[in-house]
Amino acid sequence: MTWIFLIFMAVFAVLSFWGGRKLAVRRSQGVKPHSRPGQHGLYAAIGVLAPALAVMILAAVFSAPIERQLIAAGAPEAVSQLEPFRREAFIADARRVGQGGEALQIWAAPYAELLPTEGRRAHSIHAALSWGGMTAAVIAAILGALFVAFRIRPELRARNAVEGWVVGVLFACATVAVLTTVGIIFSLVYDSLRFFSMVSAFEFLFGTKWSPQIAIRADQVGSSGAFGAVPLFAGTFLIMLIAMAVAAPVGLFSAIYLSEYASKTTRAVVKPLLEVLAGVPTVVYGFFAALTVGPALRVFFNTIGGWLAGGPLDGIGQYLLLVQNQMALVAGAVMGIMLIPFVSSLSDDIMNAVPQSLRDGSYAMGATKSETVKKVLLPAALPGIAGALLLAVSRAIGETMIVTMAAGLAAKLTLNPLETVTTVTVQIVTLLTGDQEFNSPKTLAAFGLGLTLFVVTLALNVVAMRIVQAYREQYD
Amino acid sequence: MPMNSKITRAPEGLSAGTASMSTAPAVGDSARAPLGPIKIAAKEVKVFYGEKQALHGVSLDIPDKAVTALIGPSGCGKSTFLRTLNRMNDTVPGARVEGRIEMDGVNINDKKIDPVLLRAQVGMVFQKPNPFPKSIFENVAYGPKIHGLASSKSELEDIVQSALKRAGLWDEVADRLHAPGTGLSGGQQQRLVIARAIAVEPEVILMDEPCSALDPIATAKIEELIDELRERYCIVIVTHSMAQAARVSQRTAFFHMGNIVETGDTEDIFTNPRERRTLDYITGRFG
Repeated sequence: MTWIFLIFMAVFAVLSFWGGRKLAVRRSQGVKPHSRPGQHGLYAAIGVLAPALAVMILAAVFSAPIERQLIAAGAPEAVSQLEPFRREAFIADARRVGQGGEALQIWAAPYAELLPTEGRRAHSIHAALSWGGMTAAVIAAILGALFVAFRIRPELRARNAVEGWVVGVLFACATVAVLTTVGIIFSLVYDSLRFFSMVSAFEFLFGTKWSPQIAIRADQVGSSGAFGAVPLFAGTFLIMLIAMAVAAPVGLFSAIYLSEYASKTTRAVVKPLLEVLAGVPTVVYGFFAALTVGPALRVFFNTIGGWLAGGPLDGIGQYLLLVQNQMALVAGAVMGIMLIPFVSSLSDDIMNAVPQSLRDGSYAMGATKSETVKKVLLPAALPGIAGALLLAVSRAIGETMIVTMAAGLAAKLTLNPLETVTTVTVQIVTLLTGDQEFNSPKTLAAFGLGLTLFVVTLALNVVAMRIVQAYREQYD
Repeated sequence: MPMNSKITRAPEGLSAGTASMSTAPAVGDSARAPLGPIKIAAKEVKVFYGEKQALHGVSLDIPDKAVTALIGPSGCGKSTFLRTLNRMNDTVPGARVEGRIEMDGVNINDKKIDPVLLRAQVGMVFQKPNPFPKSIFENVAYGPKIHGLASSKSELEDIVQSALKRAGLWDEVADRLHAPGTGLSGGQQQRLVIARAIAVEPEVILMDEPCSALDPIATAKIEELIDELRERYCIVIVTHSMAQAARVSQRTAFFHMGNIVETGDTEDIFTNPRERRTLDYITGRFG
């Protein structure tokens, strides 16, 4: 039914476009109209669709509560005596039975008999409401059509009106993104506040012990419920450092090669290849880290440990023999590889924005290519490159999949890259996967971590964007 | 200049006797003043950008201690010719230069000549002032540093100071040598760039429409400066302004469609051109 209605509305809109056009042509015989016929047509289509859509949205929003009220009002005594959630379940089951289905639960004596009649009643209320909504929409459309038919004349500024609607629709789309962000922030802040009412913010930000499991029974051990997030911050920071140590030099040098040295053909091949790397899903990098890089590095370090063990460096050797697959180095290095195309592509854009006249000036002074890069190009591009690196840092901090698969879960406070560490994002994942009770501090801790992460990356992005922006303006 | 001998060995007869400059003539009536010997002799220079030929065999003798103006309508090849004189076309992908360009008798359009060393001898000033995003001092010190011209910090300071003085900028920037060069006005930036070019003691200075981005007052200053620099350097200037060519140059070459139509003393070209096309151009009938 709804589908037929929607098709009908679409046809109505097309007809009104066509009609509006005809009408405009006919009424402007001998007069020069302000707007073109097509614009009158669009004006007519909007005039029909806009009121109909408004009525449909109102109906969609308000029909559900009205329907609930109506069903509750006419229910027999026995049903209205039920607890609210039991009543909801009964009505839902009644609907199913009314449409020829089976009830989900077994209902006792008075209710079992009431199911079919109540189901039919609920169904008819639903049908009446949806018919009502559709009829109202059609009436609104017809009223709109009459209004438009009355308005269309040569001097009508249909073009301006249509342009206004275009702006309105575009603005609404832009608003959706902004409002979503605001909504995300509110939900984060709300749940974080609940968390911080159970665990003090000071303990969370400066405590050095992270052990979010809470004892349900008194005899459980090892479940202290400590929420000091410093080990997580340290782990995140360590992995970010390793990732940037890989991504910054490699990305920067490849950008210099691409923008300054590569011939056109090389550039045409290498640049898309690098950008393909950026399109690889992070979970694939995660596989690569956990199944290839991790074991390879473990074998590497264990072998070195084997050589050193028993010698003068026996202590180091024994330690290296015990290195495991999961370590900060693996996650950081693979994350660095993931960030290379990001850094190189941004830096390449920034270096290309440095005016050619600066390079010419340097070459004309008798500078070589590398002197020009080192002394003119890099200083000129430095602010922009710093911005690009900050954006990469913010991505490294927020990256989840690679660290979940390759870094480990143990919240150790260490800066040793061969140890297994855990990050903020990994902990959010482990806290929120599986069945959760949304009242315990253990689950809510994820929101506290999420808020911290959000604030840090937001600050980094704002700073980075400002730097990049300021730099771009300089040469435009 | 010890470095010059690496690239160009000036023939004895040519480099001698150049000091016979009489009193510096005032701007404008300089056409009959004695010119230096031929510094650069271009012979049948052809330039190709990919398939497109931009210069069709241009020959031109450029005297030392004088200003030679290259005039002509847009796209006539005058900038292209200018850029062959310091091998800047090497930096353009797909560009190819044929013919001989002799500087003090040595063909600089030869694979064996290192363009990096050549450009230390042939400075260039561009259309838009292009100071590096560094301090005023660092801008001028750029060339001396990369070519190792100064052995100590005080020597470098002396070089920078004398270059800025010769470019007529010292009095305006002496108290803010470490302010960014990009913060100067357009005319000051252009003089800074000239100071940067002369800090490496070149023999030739190429100027590619050096005043086209400047206001009349800044232009007058640059023209005055060009006239002073003429005493020490061989200057080649590309310009769109007939009046400027007449004011600053002693020799003029008129380019059209990738060829030289007419070369001569500036006064002759502007008062008594031999070619119809030259007359049409300088009187503004085309171009």
